[in-house]
Amino acid sequence: MFKDPKRAHALASPYFVWALIFILVPLGMILWYGFTDDAGAVTIRNAAAIAQPEHLKALLLAIELAVISTVICFLLAYPLGMILAKNKMSSQGIITTIFILPMWMNFLLRTFSWMTLLENHGVINGFLEKFHLPTVHVINTPSAIVIGMVYNFLPFMIMPIYNSLAKIDNNVINAARDLGANAVQTFLRVTLPLTVPGIISGVTMVFIPALTTFAISTMLGGSKILLIGNVIEQEFTLTYDWHLGSGLSVVLMIFIVINMIVQALSEKNDEL
Amino acid sequence: MEKELINLDHIYKSYDGQLILDDLSLVIHENEFVTLLGPSGCGKTTTLRIIGGFETPDKGRVIFDGQDITALAPNKRQLNTVFQKYALFTHMDIADNIAFGLRIKNKSDQYIKDKISYALKLVNLDGYEHRMPDSLSGGQQQRIAIARAIVNEPKVLLLDEPLGALDLKLRQDMQYELIRLKRELGITFIYVTHDQEEALTMSDHIVVMNQGYIQQEGTPEAIYNEPENAFVADFIGDSNIISATMVKDELVRILGTEFPCVDKGFGVEKPVDVVIRPEDVKLVKRGEGKIPGVVSHIIFKGVHYEMEVQAGGFEWLVHSTKESPAGTEVDIDVDPFDIQVMNRPASEDEQALGVVDDV
Amino acid sequence: MNSKTRTFEKIYMGIIFLFMYAPIVTLIVLSFNKSKSRAKWGGFTFQWYLSLVRDSEVLNALANTLIIALIATVVSTIIGTAASVALMGMKRRTRSLVMGVTNIPMINADIVTGISLMLLFKVLHFEAGFVTVLIAHITFDIPYVMLSVLPRMKTISPSVYEAALDLGAKPLFAFRKTILPDLMPSVISGALMAFTMSIDDFIITYFTKGSGFDTLSTKIYSEVKRGIRPEIYALSAIIFVVVLILLLVSNRIKAGAGKRVKKSLSARGERIKNIALAAGVVAFSALIVVMALVYGGVFSKKSTQVFVYNFGEYIDPDVITMFEEETGIEVVYDEFESNEIMYAKIASDGAAYDVMCPSDYMIAKMISQDMLMKLDKSALPNAVEYIGGQYYNSAKAFDPENEYAVPYCWGTVGILYNKKMVQEPVTSWDILWDDRYSGEILMQDSIRDAFMVALMRRGYSMNSTDPGEINSAAEDLIEQAPLVQAYVIDQVRDKMIGNEAALGVIYSGEAIYTKRENPDLEYVVPDEGSNVWIDGWVISRDAVNVDNALAWIDFMCRPEIALKNFEYITYSTPNIAAQELIEDDDIRNSSVAFPDNETLERCDTFISLGEEADRLYNEAWKRVKSAN
Repeated sequence: MFKDPKRAHALASPYFVWALIFILVPLGMILWYGFTDDAGAVTIRNAAAIAQPEHLKALLLAIELAVISTVICFLLAYPLGMILAKNKMSSQGIITTIFILPMWMNFLLRTFSWMTLLENHGVINGFLEKFHLPTVHVINTPSAIVIGMVYNFLPFMIMPIYNSLAKIDNNVINAARDLGANAVQTFLRVTLPLTVPGIISGVTMVFIPALTTFAISTMLGGSKILLIGNVIEQEFTLTYDWHLGSGLSVVLMIFIVINMIVQALSEKNDEL
Repeated sequence: MEKELINLDHIYKSYDGQLILDDLSLVIHENEFVTLLGPSGCGKTTTLRIIGGFETPDKGRVIFDGQDITALAPNKRQLNTVFQKYALFTHMDIADNIAFGLRIKNKSDQYIKDKISYALKLVNLDGYEHRMPDSLSGGQQQRIAIARAIVNEPKVLLLDEPLGALDLKLRQDMQYELIRLKRELGITFIYVTHDQEEALTMSDHIVVMNQGYIQQEGTPEAIYNEPENAFVADFIGDSNIISATMVKDELVRILGTEFPCVDKGFGVEKPVDVVIRPEDVKLVKRGEGKIPGVVSHIIFKGVHYEMEVQAGGFEWLVHSTKESPAGTEVDIDVDPFDIQVMNRPASEDEQALGVVDDV
Repeated sequence: MNSKTRTFEKIYMGIIFLFMYAPIVTLIVLSFNKSKSRAKWGGFTFQWYLSLVRDSEVLNALANTLIIALIATVVSTIIGTAASVALMGMKRRTRSLVMGVTNIPMINADIVTGISLMLLFKVLHFEAGFVTVLIAHITFDIPYVMLSVLPRMKTISPSVYEAALDLGAKPLFAFRKTILPDLMPSVISGALMAFTMSIDDFIITYFTKGSGFDTLSTKIYSEVKRGIRPEIYALSAIIFVVVLILLLVSNRIKAGAGKRVKKSLSARGERIKNIALAAGVVAFSALIVVMALVYGGVFSKKSTQVFVYNFGEYIDPDVITMFEEETGIEVVYDEFESNEIMYAKIASDGAAYDVMCPSDYMIAKMISQDMLMKLDKSALPNAVEYIGGQYYNSAKAFDPENEYAVPYCWGTVGILYNKKMVQEPVTSWDILWDDRYSGEILMQDSIRDAFMVALMRRGYSMNSTDPGEINSAAEDLIEQAPLVQAYVIDQVRDKMIGNEAALGVIYSGEAIYTKRENPDLEYVVPDEGSNVWIDGWVISRDAVNVDNALAWIDFMCRPEIALKNFEYITYSTPNIAAQELIEDDDIRNSSVAFPDNETLERCDTFISLGEEADRLYNEAWKRVKSAN
């Protein structure tokens, strides 16, 4: 099992077969559909369609909202991770209870619920009115989509950041203090750099789903704000242009590949 | 004696309602190698962390060089720490690790460069500037941790079980290295360990702690030869600790037999404990000593033989260069100055306290 | 640490906690809301919890979700654990290559994974449904298992295992006795993660499920468009409470164990094991209960069946039961979200359903493609007697000889407006371009309906295929886009009830319901004219149970049944006898439910436009939607 390669391969073969058929071949499918047309001729028209103004606009807006959401997630998650790590709350205990629990409530329902909260006469504005505060118009704006993204993807930022913070030996922080660094210097020169791998994996896990979501934008954007995910979804479910949909997906895959490379590099550094 | 440098003044500290340090007072002098010695949980590391500024005492003051630094942040203190398990910055190479404190102080690049090479030479690791900490062995990492601390020219170096993670051979090498460093730097070392041999080898001054109290302090010789209570005797080296009765000054009855000794002032017919080091127990021919006994066990230990001898209803531990095979009938004898008489504590608490009260 | 930072930390955690749980509390509150509309608090009720037990669709979706999650978890745990163990015996290079592939489903966007699998299944001619979803779930679950097991595997020394082999143990036995116990906590937490991911997945399921198969996620997504039924809130609240109790109990167990075994690693493993065990038990027993509810009738299986395919929320569920009880025919009832989805399904398998209820233009398209069967009128006495002649006349627009379809529901499309917010009389579509109502306008999120509004406003035909007309309509819609609050389908209903908008384009059937909930609302069909639509029952050309299908259609045409449906779905019935049975005078005489002939003359019916025109509309619509 450990030393016998034949046996190891036999044991791993179900997975290899599975990964080949259901991970690699399907990706090949997207490439094939993305670079051919109805007649089967090779073309780059589908991928190049990203340059069309309505597609480009959806992509740029998606990037913008995904970046904003990722930054907000990071800013919210880092202090929380520090608090949790400092108070030595076990990752299995409090964190599961707090952040895994909502995941058992359906993702769409949770998002849907934000609609009720954010509407012009929704719960939040109801409270604001009660206290004679000015109400906010959020629903069906990009802000609402950002809130939905942050809400849904925040746990994916908290987990890796918390894990990397919890891994830091307390004495490493003490050592920095001991060597004369004040709290801010210690944070910037020691804590932050040591959690870079966690941050990168958190950023990936938030940015990619935020960039490609279509459900959140449909629900909280009133179907009025089209992200690249919506465009692709429509190509498959509404207009049935699979070649165009695949072509646009290929463009998305470029972002994903960049992400994978960044992550692979950071892991390699980590291993050294 | 050198000038007084650190004064811990009636320190109290507790965690979760459990008292870790109970009215601890300790004076440390300049240019001393002081070791805080004790079993785990005795409060030695907490004491060190209070000096380093990583913990604030609940009560009491920390005086450094005449100034009260009790509330001063660690980064403002003129001392540096070498941590357990090194605590190197794994995201920086060796040079950046060592330069960390100097960069914070905005020293010039040239100064930093010189300091790094000086420090690396000092710890015998020149040429390691651009290695990453994870690629170094434990002993090397430990030396980098020391180099990182001493480039800041602290008045005091705090060492928290720095050799705990190393294997025996490396530990012994590092002990000599630390003594050498101490001599070359001419600063105060405060060293925390649970390893009595390490403490005896390196220190000028040993502070034996247990359950938050100082049991005894003094030179290694004094601690070893004249333990003040059973805890110290038991913790420092192997020893025979036997209940006995002080007959009168300079005479003690051990296992029913009277032995002349050098201790005075314990009173008359008072229960006491005596400590006799195994190497101080003399095995002589039957009829020539004080208590008859039989060797029950013998092991060859290299420099000496270790034997167990049944005599007077007590199992004596004996070290001798002379071999006496198991079953040999012997007599036991002890020279007066090798008998260390101690007050017997009345209760456990008192034992922990190490109080020597006049009964 | 001083108390000030402590307080700050507590406040900060409190805010995050509030953020995480506000939506969940909202859902739980909604589950007790008597009003079906989420925009209104109609009083406290337990009724949704009671009706949940009878809601076969929701329970079906729940059963699917649990079955898929359980099987996917078991399979992916076995495959993933085996692979992790095996990987340790391989070269480092191989290992990192394999891990690279394993990471793909985790790093890749769900939408890309979903689409890639969907393309694969299409190319392989796998029929999308249970199996494809299961395969997809196993695929994205495996990485979670491996990522949990592999790191643990790395820390396990093979020496114990080798010692066991040395002592003569067989490999499998040695593995079970030496390595597996150490590995178990990570295997279980991996499985737990896989289960959670599987339960929560929407996007990948959405692309691989095909029509006619739903998990909770996809069911909810289609309901978000059509209006979520309160039973789903109730179900979520139950799931939430069960999981919460599980976690609390396992915390208790751990606290107890913690006293005995002091914070050792094994205690943590123990705890995960406890959680997993409890989760497994609960999931499994939930499954049994749900299956019993869903398939309770299996053993008393009727000798005959009829396969019905209808729009969502387009029948009173009691009617189905009544039909079954009276005729002894078992009804297999499925719902579709749009005509297009229904069309795709029947086009791929004409025998999948016997009887469907598409809309006018789709009926025309299906007739033209010879997908429907001529109806035997002698088997449909109720349809002949009670459905009004004028509706058959209107139906001639798409079914010229009235041979293929029996009208089921009909209505108009118009403007629903709030009298408190719109003082002026509403007579024209123009008001939807009035910038005084900027941000207060709700448009329909469907191509034909949105373009109908723009085309009619310009005086063009709503069935225009003229590129110039379509283009100028598109320009108008782009001009209108900044004023539009949202493009929605059935959300118009809740939003108008909740005073979220002043004006909305809505189907007349929904208008009746909304007016009942919010008396400030008024419905008009603009002067330029609008869409009058008819949905009708048709039978597939390849139908298997034709007689039963005819019985079904005729049953729907009984006046008291038509009335029951009307009261439930509030869409106008073409059944004259049923109309007369309506007790409420206001409704019976309502111009919303039953507009006068003058209004109807202004209106037109959609017809199928052909592929070329469809493409023009699609492209124009995309321009409109990206205009913001």
